Amino acid sequence: MADEFIKGLAIAAGGGLIWMVLSGWYTTPGFEDAQLWGAIPEGLDAYGQAAIMLREVLAWFIILGVLAFWVVIPALEQLREASS
Amino acid sequence: MSDEEPQTDGSGTGIVPPDDETPTWSERKERTQGLSRLTYEYFERARREDQDLRQESSYVERDVLAFPVWPHEMIRNLSLTAFFVGMTIFLAATLPPHLGPPANPNSTPAVILPDWYLYWSFGLLKLGPLNPELAILGGDTLMADRTYGVVANIVVVGIIAIVPFLNKGSARRPVEQPFWAAVGMAGFTFAWTISALSIKNLLPIDPHLLFDLTFLLPIIGGTLTYAILKSMQEGYMYDLNRRYYRLRPPK
Repeated sequence: MADEFIKGLAIAAGGGLIWMVLSGWYTTPGFEDAQLWGAIPEGLDAYGQAAIMLREVLAWFIILGVLAFWVVIPALEQLREASS
Repeated sequence: MSDEEPQTDGSGTGIVPPDDETPTWSERKERTQGLSRLTYEYFERARREDQDLRQESSYVERDVLAFPVWPHEMIRNLSLTAFFVGMTIFLAATLPPHLGPPANPNSTPAVILPDWYLYWSFGLLKLGPLNPELAILGGDTLMADRTYGVVANIVVVGIIAIVPFLNKGSARRPVEQPFWAAVGMAGFTFAWTISALSIKNLLPIDPHLLFDLTFLLPIIGGTLTYAILKSMQEGYMYDLNRRYYRLRPPK
């Protein structure tokens, strides 16, 4: 159980760190403007488009990874324990 | 003192020697109190190895059970230091902090608030409705509301200062002392609610309701904590915790 928890936490922390940096670079119009959640700017170069895509991938990686390790896998283990 | 009774201070014969008598994993599993017994044996083995190391070394005997600073603690500390220094450099390089324009000393902001970590103290200044109007003074209050708020600060800080003298903190986990854990959770909740009260003009909630919740939520939180921890004591983990209790080195 503790292993599953630290895997989910590592996914959330590591993925969130990179997501936060990319969001700070690309979707933060200003300090007193929207931070991290700002609109995706138009006319990005190839690096920018790749970063935005990586940002999306990381967001889903965090959501699905945390769900898998904190909810789905423990629930399956509980089910298996209950049935055996 | 019988030979069967394990002694945690090393005076008895409860030491499990690391030889053929050490039970196999399947034997350990067959025991009824598997986890607590395993924990006990683990600590006894560690204590025995520690004792052996001391007896064959030239160190002065101390009654402190711990790991040596070098290399154990130092490697751990250097790892942690390297991680946090690296994280600081990474964040400073990737997300350099914003340097805004200088503040204008000629214009006063519309909303004046202390820094967020002082909201609790700011909230204690807003306890005017609690200032009692005494009949003996002809319906007057003993002190002004602002004085009352300052006195409330002194009282709350005084209570926080007294708590360590009432409870020495010998419990290693909340389930061992549910009452004090409940006191802690009530105080923690009160810190949040009194902070919320301090910015009541910014919160989308009725001020009177917020004022009542400020004192109700800590009581609810403390009661819930006590109930949950008391019911957790019934679980099997508490046997393990009691075992930890007994394994602490004697004072």
